[in-house]
Amino acid sequence: MTLLLAATLVALQAATQGPDPRLQRLDSISRPIVTALVDSARAAALPTEPLVQRALEGTTKRATPDRIVAAVRRLALDLGHARDALGPTASPTELVAAAAALRAGAPPATLTELRRIRRESLTVPLAVLTDLVGSGVPVDSAAAAVLSLAAQARDADLVEFRRAVERDIALGAPPASATAAAAAFAAAAVQVNAGARQQRPGPP
Amino acid sequence: MFEPDEELIERVVRQLRRPVTVDAGLDARVMEQVRRLPARRAAGAAHAAWGWLTRPRTVPFLPLGALAVAAVFVAVVLWRPDRPSRPASVSEFGFVVVAPRATTVSLVGDFNDWDAARTPMQRVRKDESVWTAVIPLTPGRYRYAFLVDGVRWLADPAAPAARDDEYGAPSSVVTVGGS
Repeated sequence: MTLLLAATLVALQAATQGPDPRLQRLDSISRPIVTALVDSARAAALPTEPLVQRALEGTTKRATPDRIVAAVRRLALDLGHARDALGPTASPTELVAAAAALRAGAPPATLTELRRIRRESLTVPLAVLTDLVGSGVPVDSAAAAVLSLAAQARDADLVEFRRAVERDIALGAPPASATAAAAAFAAAAVQVNAGARQQRPGPP
Repeated sequence: MFEPDEELIERVVRQLRRPVTVDAGLDARVMEQVRRLPARRAAGAAHAAWGWLTRPRTVPFLPLGALAVAAVFVAVVLWRPDRPSRPASVSEFGFVVVAPRATTVSLVGDFNDWDAARTPMQRVRKDESVWTAVIPLTPGRYRYAFLVDGVRWLADPAAPAARDDEYGAPSSVVTVGGS
């Protein structure tokens, strides 16, 4: 009886979520396929908003229907792989960032390890990892640096770390060396900041 | 003191115990009267259905089963894959691009459904080529680009480039953190 009730409620919820009206902007060829992909993602409990946005990006940029469909399909697959790596509790923003990190070449095990060691959201660590790889940092070096910082660093610390690496690379430092140096500096700063936060008096 | 009452009761009982002779044609006459009543089959069916629906019933259940049903109901009603797990804070983000000789510049991205009409950028000064826009963003990772004069796409030189650019026009990414 419980299963019957659950199935009924899920069916009702799915029935109330009709096709996204924004997809009307798509051409007649890609629209039904993208709609089906979005429906499939919803049925698999994956976030659908990134898929809609990727399709809208394609139509605004006047991409051909096959390119739009291919991009949306690939993102849906990446989101599924991201959830496999991060687990079912991952938020939509985490899944989007994880999908980009996987696409950049990050190993799924790195994502799983990030989930294990960091209590806060993984969106920024994953984005920093992706951006570092995009800046030319070898994926192993980027992953090691992010993993070394992720347990204690705040989002702002990680963003500052990424900026430091990009700045050093722009000044001519080899990407791997720039990453290692910035990670060591950021880790020391995080330790100092964490100590300061612990000593700060809390609310009465 | 109670003797008269007992006699009365005795008489009544004797009377009730007398054999009664019923006319053999009584059943036939009663059924004939029943057949003459107007037909009310539809109303009767509706009445029966209403009675079935409104009749109180006793449903046996385990407390554990009731809790499971309630948990499933709450989970299905509240759960949405696209909904953030907790209320997200909103931050104002400024975007700047230098576009000499541009007539119009739009900020287009995941945050405005890639709608070029939604976020037109403003010139910093009338005679300069710097364009800006400020928009609220919740934590997340967004792809975006600048659209110059409605035809030319520009990535943000001050932001990381989007690597998975399948559409042949450059995009950038901005990541908004929560801590």
